[in-house]
Amino acid sequence: MKRAAVIVLLVVVAIPLVLAMADLPPYGSPDSPAYTHVGAYYLEHGVEEAGAENIVTDVILNYRGFDTEGEVTVIFTAMAAVLAVLMASRGGGEAGTRPPLTPPSVVVRFVVRVMAPLTLMFAVYVIMNGHITPGGGFQGGTIVGAVFIALTLVLSERDATRLIPNRPERVLQAAAPIVYCLIGLLGLALFDVYLGYPRTEEMGLLRTAMLVTLEIGIGVGGATVIATIFRTMGSDQ
Amino acid sequence: MIEALWQNIDYVASVLLFCIGLYAMITKSNLIKKFIGLNIMETSVFAFIVALGVVEGGDAPIMGVGASPPFINPLPQSLILTGIVVAVSTTALALSLIIRIHKQCGTIEADELREME
Amino acid sequence: MVVLAPLVGAVLTPIVARRDRRVAPWWALGVMSVTSVAAVALMVRVAQEGPFSYYMSGWVPPIGIEFRFDEVSAFIGVVCLVGWLAVLYSFRYIEWLRGLEKPRIPYYYTLLLLNLAGIIGISITGDLFNLFVFLEIVSLSGYALVAVSGERIADMAAFKYLLIGAVSSLLVLLGIGLVYALTGSLNMADVSARLADAPARPLAVAIGAFTVGFMVKAAIFPLHIWLPDAHAIAPSPVSAVLSGLVVKVGIIGMLRIYQIVYGSGAVDMNGLNQVLMWLGAISIVMGAFFAVFQDDIKMMLAYSTISNIGYIVMGLGLASSFGVIGASIHVFNHALIKATLFFGAGALIFRTGKRTLSELAGVGRSMPLTAAAMSIGAISIVGIPPTAGFLCKWYIALGAVQAEQPFFAFALVFGALFIFIYYIRMVNAFYFRPPVDPEILAVKEAPASMLVPILVLAALCLIMGVLGRLPLTFIEPAVTRLLSTAGGG
Repeated sequence: MKRAAVIVLLVVVAIPLVLAMADLPPYGSPDSPAYTHVGAYYLEHGVEEAGAENIVTDVILNYRGFDTEGEVTVIFTAMAAVLAVLMASRGGGEAGTRPPLTPPSVVVRFVVRVMAPLTLMFAVYVIMNGHITPGGGFQGGTIVGAVFIALTLVLSERDATRLIPNRPERVLQAAAPIVYCLIGLLGLALFDVYLGYPRTEEMGLLRTAMLVTLEIGIGVGGATVIATIFRTMGSDQ
Repeated sequence: MIEALWQNIDYVASVLLFCIGLYAMITKSNLIKKFIGLNIMETSVFAFIVALGVVEGGDAPIMGVGASPPFINPLPQSLILTGIVVAVSTTALALSLIIRIHKQCGTIEADELREME
Repeated sequence: MVVLAPLVGAVLTPIVARRDRRVAPWWALGVMSVTSVAAVALMVRVAQEGPFSYYMSGWVPPIGIEFRFDEVSAFIGVVCLVGWLAVLYSFRYIEWLRGLEKPRIPYYYTLLLLNLAGIIGISITGDLFNLFVFLEIVSLSGYALVAVSGERIADMAAFKYLLIGAVSSLLVLLGIGLVYALTGSLNMADVSARLADAPARPLAVAIGAFTVGFMVKAAIFPLHIWLPDAHAIAPSPVSAVLSGLVVKVGIIGMLRIYQIVYGSGAVDMNGLNQVLMWLGAISIVMGAFFAVFQDDIKMMLAYSTISNIGYIVMGLGLASSFGVIGASIHVFNHALIKATLFFGAGALIFRTGKRTLSELAGVGRSMPLTAAAMSIGAISIVGIPPTAGFLCKWYIALGAVQAEQPFFAFALVFGALFIFIYYIRMVNAFYFRPPVDPEILAVKEAPASMLVPILVLAALCLIMGVLGRLPLTFIEPAVTRLLSTAGGG
């Protein structure tokens, strides 16, 4: 009975949506408002104005840079939330040499340990090249986070906790928003507007430097946040 | 009209995904399953938005060597980048709540939980 | 442009706040102070110059993201005020909260500040996607703040809130996607200009998606079910922020949508307005009705919030100048009033450990200031002059008459009657009933850090009632602008 009611509800919801889809500008058409308006501008002027060949990077770091700042704030909020909800009141250093929960086989351990540094290198590549090839801060940061998770699964608990150095831990977690603010304020100081970037070719180097710094900040921050969330969830057993 | 629907089939597909997710969210009793339903819904909206940017025969919007117009619209991609991060954040928080609920109530089935209230 | 101070300050908080636990509350207070100063500067500027914009990264919209400060943005004044007081209030309250372990406390402040920063962001942005991002910041921190007390019911309430809230956020995102598909832009003003060419059906669906999404956030019938548990179970300062500010975010979202749609003249909003009027009226009566039966004081206040949001939505739906003005003013006033009430309730719980009216009987004698403040809040919310609540309700009623819908004025009065009933119960319990538990008489008055916010807000309830004209004239230009494009009220 309940199932039937739900299906009816879904049909009621779906019908107007589907009908609306029919009326949208046709898929893939180069005349759609989405393509001809703002999108076209980005494609045309992105490289010279915003400084990265990867137009998507242009958009997220420059034209719509503030949205990305908001986004790093969101993920930071999530981390703060997870910590607020789950953080055990552990005394410092009580993490013992307890073996990982499901001791993996030798094969897994070996492979992970070998792959980890290689994957990290790849991640760094992705971060640094984000403005030229597909990739970017977040993408690379996630890879680093994934490496961390894999390592946590195979290492003993004590070694795993050592993966995030204790003292800078808190700064690392907040790295993304902080770096963003700093660059933003730099823009304010130099160009009279928050998050302002140089727009000319001469200052191209500065612009690229700002972009890359942001990418690194996002990458480090993102990775740390992912790692922290994972660790907090895991340590709560 | 059918023709228009067929042409925009990608959009229609995302609506269907959305409904599947909604169905899962409402009917499944297990909290984690409900939440996966939410994830499916989120993905459907992202798919919709990305599909908006597609241009026929378009290339990735990266101006490097060998790139040629037409390019795919970069804006939707940046939108969903942020969107995905938001979805991940929500996931993280939801899961931690589920962990706590499990610790405190011993169950993550919505029916049993409702009895406990 | 020190515009950014509020947000930046809130963001930096987390970092410093976690070095030393004791520092956290003070730092948060400092951040809010800086934020408040910046907010006041902004409000003054809007009052003098009218709406103005700020372009992020210097890119002109629609290429870039625009911050737009108009009269609605003045909401940030209330946000800062209530926020600052909530931080102060939290000093003692949070330490006392049983389920919250010590090391987690700084994160509470982090989340609170993030929440406030998000609300400010929503109020001042002129870009649709930016709105979404801030909405998520508010939502996520909100879900977490509800759960922070560690009680079992809190987790459940937070989870319910999260599920429903995430779906509503998703609907908003869907709306944004549809609007983008139709106009190719994300800037609110730009979208408004372009909507005239858009095909009608997707646009209607988009507006529908937005409305449902924001209605959930604002807890309007029938999508209000998450609210009572969430607001009642959250720690009191959080309840104040949630009821007073966060639900208003849903309203602000709707207001922005209205601005966009009215501005474009593309859609006849009459149907939607009708829906809003009815839902608002039902919320009013239903919220008040349920409130009467609640014994737990915070549940009562939570249902009261649903009722009051109903007023606001009904006022909006009436689409007459009085109605919309009244609704807008109530957004501000209700924040003040509800904060007073929740802070007061929290103080009662803090000192006596009791949450239900029956158990709190007689507390008026031992905590006279708190009880008096709450009584003032009660009078305000019923809408008796010369308190803050009167003016807005009066205007909404006038708005109903103006729109030739006297039935709704009746709904308003009817609801007020119910509100009167349950608040009388509260006052009665405080003062006139003999104490059930003799210990009640022995408790002391609330501590200073909690008492100050309570009294300040109660005083404001009275002051705003007397000075009611001021916010009215402030808001009027925005409302006129809004409605003139809608074809007059």
